[in-house]
Amino acid sequence: MSLKNHFVAIITFILSAQIIDAREVNIYSHRQPFLINPFLEKFTEKTGIKTNIIYSAQGLAQRLSSEGKNSPADVILTVDIASLIVYHDMDLFLSIRSQKLKQNIPSHLRSLDNTWFGLSKRSRIIVTSKDRIKSGSIKNVEDLSDQKWHGKICTRPGSHNYNRALLASIIAEHGEKKAEKWASGLVANLARRPQGNDRAQVKAIFEGQCDIAIINNYYFGLLKYSDIPEERDWAESLNLVFPNQGKNERGSHINISGGGVAKHAKNKSEAIALLEFLTDRASQDLYGEINFEYPVNPNVAPTIELQSWGNFESDKISISTIARLSGVAQRIIDRVGW
Amino acid sequence: MLKLMRRINYWKFLVYAISLTLLFPFIALILISFGDTDGLWAHLFATVLIKYVANTLALMLGVAFLSGIFGVLTAWIISKYHFVFSKYIDFMLLLPAACPAYLVAYAYTDFFEYAGPVQGSFRSLMGWSSARDYYFPEIRSLGGAIFVLSSVLYPYIYLLARTAFRQIPESYIEVSSLYKRSEFWTIGFPLARPAIAAGVALVSMEVVSDFGTVEYFSLQTLTLGIFNVWIGMNSITAAAQLATCSFAFIIILLVLEMRSRSGRRFNDTSKNQRYGRTKSLVGLKATFCVTFCLLPFCFGFLIPISILISNLVGSFKWLNLMDSLVILRNTLMLSLIGASLIMLIATLIGSVSQVSSDRKLQNLVSFSSTGYAFPGTILALGVMIFFGFIDNILVFTEIFGLNLYLSGTLIALLFAYLIRFLAVGYGSVISGLSKTSPNLVWASRTLGLGFSSTITKISIPLIKKSIIAGGVLVFVDIMKELPMTLLLRPFNFDTLATSTYQFAHDELMTEASLPALLIVLSGLIPIVFLNRLLKKPEF
Repeated sequence: MSLKNHFVAIITFILSAQIIDAREVNIYSHRQPFLINPFLEKFTEKTGIKTNIIYSAQGLAQRLSSEGKNSPADVILTVDIASLIVYHDMDLFLSIRSQKLKQNIPSHLRSLDNTWFGLSKRSRIIVTSKDRIKSGSIKNVEDLSDQKWHGKICTRPGSHNYNRALLASIIAEHGEKKAEKWASGLVANLARRPQGNDRAQVKAIFEGQCDIAIINNYYFGLLKYSDIPEERDWAESLNLVFPNQGKNERGSHINISGGGVAKHAKNKSEAIALLEFLTDRASQDLYGEINFEYPVNPNVAPTIELQSWGNFESDKISISTIARLSGVAQRIIDRVGW
Repeated sequence: MLKLMRRINYWKFLVYAISLTLLFPFIALILISFGDTDGLWAHLFATVLIKYVANTLALMLGVAFLSGIFGVLTAWIISKYHFVFSKYIDFMLLLPAACPAYLVAYAYTDFFEYAGPVQGSFRSLMGWSSARDYYFPEIRSLGGAIFVLSSVLYPYIYLLARTAFRQIPESYIEVSSLYKRSEFWTIGFPLARPAIAAGVALVSMEVVSDFGTVEYFSLQTLTLGIFNVWIGMNSITAAAQLATCSFAFIIILLVLEMRSRSGRRFNDTSKNQRYGRTKSLVGLKATFCVTFCLLPFCFGFLIPISILISNLVGSFKWLNLMDSLVILRNTLMLSLIGASLIMLIATLIGSVSQVSSDRKLQNLVSFSSTGYAFPGTILALGVMIFFGFIDNILVFTEIFGLNLYLSGTLIALLFAYLIRFLAVGYGSVISGLSKTSPNLVWASRTLGLGFSSTITKISIPLIKKSIIAGGVLVFVDIMKELPMTLLLRPFNFDTLATSTYQFAHDELMTEASLPALLIVLSGLIPIVFLNRLLKKPEF
């Protein structure tokens, strides 16, 4: 290859990002590609619309905001409500009109101004050791601050989105003061410094480091059906507790994965088509099959596997309230050292 | 002379322009840090700030100390003694540079934690049944982070110290032995101090900006705090303030170190010196040296890589390999372009600032190459804001039917690499230039060669090795880089690091192992090359 050809090759490589196809939709995703790709493949198959994706756990809202009206992004997908609200508050979402989305998503799981939409639900549940904790001895998330569990609980750090949201739900129910008391009680009961992700907490129960953990429900499914035999044993050692199911209780705390259309989307109709597609029966089932998440669509039942874990009532608090209390929750987490 | 200086002014102008451009993302960060934080600082002071600072300091000092011991002592042993396998060990000591710290952290956690094989076999061996029966140091801790970071970062110090030790004239050593003084403490260490300090400075900057390891170990450092404030409290303003503070802190340290060195000279002016004679060691002493030198290699390379390989065995799929090879191509291409760009600019600003002897310019250049000390994600935010601004200017290209936006192209990413890794390339160029006399440049100019031809015909050939060495380090750094690549890359573009991350983020170590191993393997080749290069005698 001559020098000139090399040069051309390099320039093409650098600028390749700019070459744009006809029918396509550009996605900024907080959800890992290996979890979202199966959906996107089906979407392209069905509609012929090509999908382009960038994944990052953090910072995409800032990217979108600094790109401003030149941004190529059409759809934003997140894995929790707090990030949806960040986009919303930075005015990065477009308010869209879709009868389908309104039908497929209950009102407490989408925004009133039609900017963001919940796409799947995950419940923050308690898991306990089958051997060491009598089943039924923990009923509510509030029980975890009880002194009798001293040295028995494992969690990931409080400042993770999922724990922050859980604490926010407690603030919403009991107020800031009581929530802080709960959090400091929980911290006093921890068997070890908060560390690892939810998967690591299950491992710790299996190995006997602790007896109780708080995890997102799908981790249980992923471990139960893991390719690694040892991980299946971890899942086997657990009892699941959907907390706060009593008569006057609020139900188990849930979080959502969700999405919205970018304010300056160039492919608006394709973007709406993608969101609608994700709330369809097939996709809603897929959420359960791939990642053990619950459908938001009230007309779609959870997968048989999920149903076998038990039916539960979920907290019906408006999901955006949880996100609004995130800052307050983080301050409590800093104060109690969770 | 005056006329010559005037012509240099164009070049000086160019270097000023480049350095100032590099400062824009910092300025963007400082601008967003002006703003109301709603009493957040009072809250941080009262709760976590002291912990953040103390942990950061402890981590930095701990890693500086441990990686210093690993790097300096092995460099001394290798450059002063000759023993069994010493040639191979010399090279093996560099290999951990190919391992990203966060990957080593992932691997070690699986290995050493309560549920891992080490403690597991301890328990079954001793008949213990729970954590309460015995003590085992926790890997996810300050100590664990110091261990992991030191194990992969010490090669920076080793490389620089080894070169410095080898350049100590034999006569100095002879004098010290005549007076029965310690060769290491009276000659070796003091003479190699600038090199060691430069290595420790690079390591400290890596430590302060590290996110992957501290996040995985849940170690509450300033960088983790920046994320808690940014994501948790949704305050980009306070996050930028914290980042600027931690940045200022590391800059102060660097300046202090430079001050304490200023006024001393470390170069050797006499000619006809003999260098690098090594003593032969056998028996117990040789055994000790082999064992000691193998330790950091095992910690930073052998053990973590074995863990990754054992993860891969049994789960290997050809399809994954084919996917990974495409990503490998992207990674190599990007790293190569990035490293070339950075070395080009480092050489340009290095030679101009050396010749011009303009203190203001030299300070500006040093300052604009401090991006190494910023957490990558935060730096990426600065770069995004900067390019957002540029794109708003570029809107006019629409008139001509073009949409020449730079955000979300590799240009933005390359620019971010330039800011972050210029320190590595620039440091290498400067250390090469400091060994050549500026008189050579002046002689060439007086003889009628223009400034650009002087640089290409005199300066560059003289420091060719330093340029390549710096380029290799930058290449490997870009290959390993995660947070900025993740955030600034174009659509559908993966590097090995981002591909590893999407799995490792969820603690799916089996899936993460293949791209992780590819990062290490493809980092090895340039490192082997670098080692060969540095061993060849200078001209």
